[in-house]
Amino acid sequence: MVKWTILIVDDHPSFRRFARRLLEADGLAVVGEAGDGASALATFRALRPQLVLLDILLPDQDGFAVAEALARESQPPVVILTSSREASDYGTRLERTSARGFIGKNELSGPALAALVDGG
Amino acid sequence: MKGRALRLGLGGLAAIVGLVALALAVSGREPPDFLLPIPVELAIGWSFVGAGLIGWARRPDNRTGLLMTLAGVVWFGRQLEWLDTALASHLSHVSVNLFLALIAHQLVVFPRGEARSRLERTLVASGYVLAIGGYVASKFFYDPALEGCGGCPQNLLLVSANGELDAVANVVPSTLAILLLLAILARLAWRWRAASPPARRVLGPVVWTGWAALLITAVTIGLYTGQVSPTLDRALQWSTLAYTAVPLAFLVGLLRTRLHRGALSGLLLDLGDATSPAAVRGALAQALGDPSLEVAFWLPDRERYVDLDGREFETLINSERAMSVLEHEGWRIAALVYDASLLEDPELVRAAGAAARMALENARLQAELRAQLAEVRASRARIVEAGDAERRRLERDLHDGAQQRLLGIRLALRLARGELGQNVSAAEELLGEAEAEIEQTLVELRALARGIHPAVLTEEGLRPAVETLARRASLPVHVEALPGSRLPPAVEAAAYFVASEALANVAKHASATGVTIAIRRENDSLVIHIADDGVGGADPVSGTGLVGLRDRVEALNGSLRVESPPGHGTRLHAEIPCGDAPNGQSADG
Repeated sequence: MVKWTILIVDDHPSFRRFARRLLEADGLAVVGEAGDGASALATFRALRPQLVLLDILLPDQDGFAVAEALARESQPPVVILTSSREASDYGTRLERTSARGFIGKNELSGPALAALVDGG
Repeated sequence: MKGRALRLGLGGLAAIVGLVALALAVSGREPPDFLLPIPVELAIGWSFVGAGLIGWARRPDNRTGLLMTLAGVVWFGRQLEWLDTALASHLSHVSVNLFLALIAHQLVVFPRGEARSRLERTLVASGYVLAIGGYVASKFFYDPALEGCGGCPQNLLLVSANGELDAVANVVPSTLAILLLLAILARLAWRWRAASPPARRVLGPVVWTGWAALLITAVTIGLYTGQVSPTLDRALQWSTLAYTAVPLAFLVGLLRTRLHRGALSGLLLDLGDATSPAAVRGALAQALGDPSLEVAFWLPDRERYVDLDGREFETLINSERAMSVLEHEGWRIAALVYDASLLEDPELVRAAGAAARMALENARLQAELRAQLAEVRASRARIVEAGDAERRRLERDLHDGAQQRLLGIRLALRLARGELGQNVSAAEELLGEAEAEIEQTLVELRALARGIHPAVLTEEGLRPAVETLARRASLPVHVEALPGSRLPPAVEAAAYFVASEALANVAKHASATGVTIAIRRENDSLVIHIADDGVGGADPVSGTGLVGLRDRVEALNGSLRVESPPGHGTRLHAEIPCGDAPNGQSADG
């Protein structure tokens, strides 16, 4: 598997910290972290990661809106949405989003992420 | 009684003078040249006295009747001419002028009967000044002998006989009188144009006959300043019969307000059938002749007016709308808001209000019921809405707080397991972090649970719960008083949340340096006072937190009031009835 560069967007520092270590342990390269939608966009432009792991529940705007903004970038990243809620909680919004896929926070791991990226 | 004696005296005087004049004429004595044909003289005088006395008796509070009676009596002053003396002749001539001034006076002030503005007072006073002063001035240079009237009575006011000056002295007062009459006519026309339909009903007859009579007078005065042929003179003399229409018009105007009162009996019948507030309003509007009439019902416990449907009543009281409050045995029942022209007959509004009192009281109760129903519906919707909002907040708090942390802990544990075989110190570090996360999760869960319902409130009651609240607050809280004994749980919870929400509001919005809380048991109620020294300006209507609190308190039949003048802090006052229910029992028990 290619060593993907990843940006983690989540407003909980502790979750970001653990997710970073987990994904790095699984062989992925976490290049940055962001705590809200606005800094997610800024960090993306600065670091150009290939993959953005994007929490849906952010303090300034929701992950869907951030995903649309990222899709409009000149070289858009692959976006995987994540949440502590289940996919069914979001109904059809997940079908309509430009994001590549959704992964529950409880299912998060390097292989699961890679499967979503390859599968999508 | 005094008014009655006066009426009898004036009426008797007019009757006697008229009858004497009639007797003289019938007995074959030639009436003086100055007088009109005797039937015309009597018709005018008696019409004024008669109509005046009727109007006076019916409306003793209104001077119109008095003025009309006086005009009639003054008119009979002309009969002094029979005496054929110099003084009597002067007096009889002045009588005509005074008579005209009295009519002008009434036209200016009708239907109120008294002058209210400076303009009105000026017009009225000018009439009397011209009536007497104009006459006196016109006689300074008049010598009857010089005019070839040797048989005329002597002019007592003669200063110096001068034909040219005499002509001027005659024309000037006459011209001024015509101008004054035209001014009053113009004002009448203007008043008519500006009047609302109910005002026109009263003003109408007076305006038209007043116009006609004044026009005749103006034309007559104008003609008499020139030469008048005997035929024209005769015609003009009989045309003065038109003056008899004037008192009748005034009387009709007065009786129109009386006829409204006649409509009051109809009102009573209509009210008997009126079962709804709207029907009561309709009957009152009909009786007062004002379709724009509004009825507002007073709700004592909410200290405000509501309309027919129980909605908060709003109206503009200005120069065109007037309001009168109806009370019964000292209790405010309702208010009538009506066309300000009805103010010219405030007694009628009062009478209609009095007649409608019972029906209004019933209607008020209905309106109160509707208002309560509307309020209950609204508060029920708000309570459901608040419940939903609370659930949404809880769901989000759980997902975003505790669950988020648990997910992190799970990741940490998974990582630790991976490290166990290879890097024990890394695994230990991860476990330590997981433990810290668990501690944090517990803190958050406790705070969340306390927000839902504080355990200390359930276990220990209001006093320790509020003390804890005060301790945890982000600004100094001075607790003045707290009830020592337990109260029904619903009352304790409401009081607790009032205090908690109030403290949260103060911390968020008030920029205060301190808060004082006093919760006391007073009789059968729990009374809550919370005051801060902050910036004030809290809106008890739109502040959603406050509305929620009010709903909670009102659901227990309590009341909540917030005073928050900008710059003077915020004071919250709530009263919750708590009965005598002891520990753990319902307030209904």
